[in-house]
Amino acid sequence: MSSEQATGSSRESRRTGPLVTLMRRVENLSDTQYAYLLLSPVFVLLGIVALYPLLRTFELSLFETSINQASQTFVGFDNYVQLFTGEKDRWLPGTSTFLPTSLTFDAMISSALVVTLLFAVVAVSFETIIGLGQALVLDQDFPGRRWVRAAIIIPWAVPIVIQGMIFFLMFHPEIGFLVQPLADLGLLAERNTLNDPASALFIVTVADIWKTSAFMALLILAGLQSIDRNLYDVAKVAGATRWQQFKLITFPLILPTIGIAVLFRTVQAMRIYGLIDAVAGCEVVPSLSCMVVTTFLTRQGTSAAIAFVTAAIIGVAVTAIIYQQYKEGI
Amino acid sequence: MATSDRRDDRVEPDEPEGGPLERWTQRAMQNPERVYRALFYVVMIFFMVTTLFPFYWLLVLALTPQSRLLQGSFLPQIDLFGAAAEFPLPVAKGFNPAAFVSVFEQVPFHLFMLNSFALAVTTTVIVLVIASLAGYAFGRLDFPGRGALMLGILAISYFPPAAFVIPLFEAFTGNVPITVPFTEIPLFTPPRLLNTPGSMVIPFSALFLPLSIFILTTFYAQIPDGLEDAARVEGTTRIGALFRVIIPLSAPGVATAAILTFIAVYNEYFFSTIMATSFAAGNWSPLVGGILSYQTQYTTQFNLMAAASIVGVLPVVLLVVVAQERIVSGLTAGALKE
Repeated sequence: MSSEQATGSSRESRRTGPLVTLMRRVENLSDTQYAYLLLSPVFVLLGIVALYPLLRTFELSLFETSINQASQTFVGFDNYVQLFTGEKDRWLPGTSTFLPTSLTFDAMISSALVVTLLFAVVAVSFETIIGLGQALVLDQDFPGRRWVRAAIIIPWAVPIVIQGMIFFLMFHPEIGFLVQPLADLGLLAERNTLNDPASALFIVTVADIWKTSAFMALLILAGLQSIDRNLYDVAKVAGATRWQQFKLITFPLILPTIGIAVLFRTVQAMRIYGLIDAVAGCEVVPSLSCMVVTTFLTRQGTSAAIAFVTAAIIGVAVTAIIYQQYKEGI
Repeated sequence: MATSDRRDDRVEPDEPEGGPLERWTQRAMQNPERVYRALFYVVMIFFMVTTLFPFYWLLVLALTPQSRLLQGSFLPQIDLFGAAAEFPLPVAKGFNPAAFVSVFEQVPFHLFMLNSFALAVTTTVIVLVIASLAGYAFGRLDFPGRGALMLGILAISYFPPAAFVIPLFEAFTGNVPITVPFTEIPLFTPPRLLNTPGSMVIPFSALFLPLSIFILTTFYAQIPDGLEDAARVEGTTRIGALFRVIIPLSAPGVATAAILTFIAVYNEYFFSTIMATSFAAGNWSPLVGGILSYQTQYTTQFNLMAAASIVGVLPVVLLVVVAQERIVSGLTAGALKE
């Protein structure tokens, strides 16, 4: 192996030509220059797909585009102002609004902003609790642990469209056997379940909890497994019960991990689009991403303004995460 | 409650007698660890049932013949020692495995899946190459701006695809020249990429690049300096050392990044539905298009929707069962970032 490499490189050094010259150039770069050279493909790709679109979205949000996109007029921040005053609501699908028009429950769940935040908070809360439970199970040693872990991770790996299809089929009023019992409990509408905003939001939230609790569990499990096992031995000698061990050792030590995981998942949950599209449709459950997708071909300026507001809201949460990472030192 | 009543009558509580439940409670009283153990298994079984039941439901629907889907209940009546009762678990009304064949006949489902595979493999290769170079720079080189750049990449990875889609779609239609934002200066007019692999592979690569960069940074940083130095002394070039020493030694990390990128692309919804303008396999519409065609075109063939979902989910389920260690380590490294 080493002799092969040696002959290979000696052959390299004897060769001349543009490639060899280039190689020599690379050899003579300083560490900093070399690092930036290696990172240049990342800059190009993220520049094209992230930075340019973000700037361009902001630019587009300052224009009102006619429906055939033939003319654009500069309107400054009018799109944003009209978004918050409700004048843009008529371009949104169905009865969706951007902000709630009143404080009733029905008005709340037809508001894209409220639905997105409500979904994120409720889904992530349940995911954290269930994920913690799953992590505590997976942290134990028992026969067949490998298979249980695989079973718990599988929902995480299910494609969004199939996740949506599963819950569409479980709650379709014509075949879903779960609709009747849950309707009796008052949780779902009995007819047109998937077209009823409250029922559909409930189903979408349950679907998300089903899929992503496992992800939460894996993050928390990583935290659990970094706990020093000696602490538990000491606690046992001191006569602590299982509950005391959890309350005084486990929980405080995994709290920072849970914090990061919750922030991370909240940011992800606020992107929700595909699940809604596959289960119920954007006119039934409006989310911010939904509003962007349903309007961008017809009302580009409005759509861009919503997209930028979404990015800004997520930006706030991202700043919190970045600050956390920065404090810990990257 | 009945057991506790009877326990009070017992003269010698140390002698386990009576029914199995009674004996069990008796021992549990003496050893709380047994209660804990039992509770543990109850919780575990609960999690197993809630995660796996939806797949069972798909199987029930897929096997039920089309004509019987809407007749009667999926919960069969059973005879419970003379009394009629409802079986608590749904059961297929009939046995019709032919649905798994029809799935490929009604819609060219295999073509949609092939599109998904092609897009996922291409994206994975691109991501691995770019992330390897970046991971080497972040993991093994010390340079000014390293921390800031890593945080910047982390920040970008959190933004929603909706924040990028409008300009990308506009660019991929190939009608208008790209201009420098906030000016009229035209740069170039891109080719029309909609309905081609490019319109999906480019956003996918950017979307899933950060996770791989963080995974590979962690792995590359763990290779001892001495190994790379030895290779350099033997006359290997800098890039040669990366490809001949660092990457082979980090094979588990590269595999982890590859598996996670593949799954992420296979599961992607947002760009997959937008960049292929119709659910046609010829337009490079991936798995999403195949499944949604059943939902939009064959609105009452629930058995085919279920069968298509089962076929579509099999590759990732196999991947999880085979490579779960890699997935677990990669996800935690990527999200918690050590």
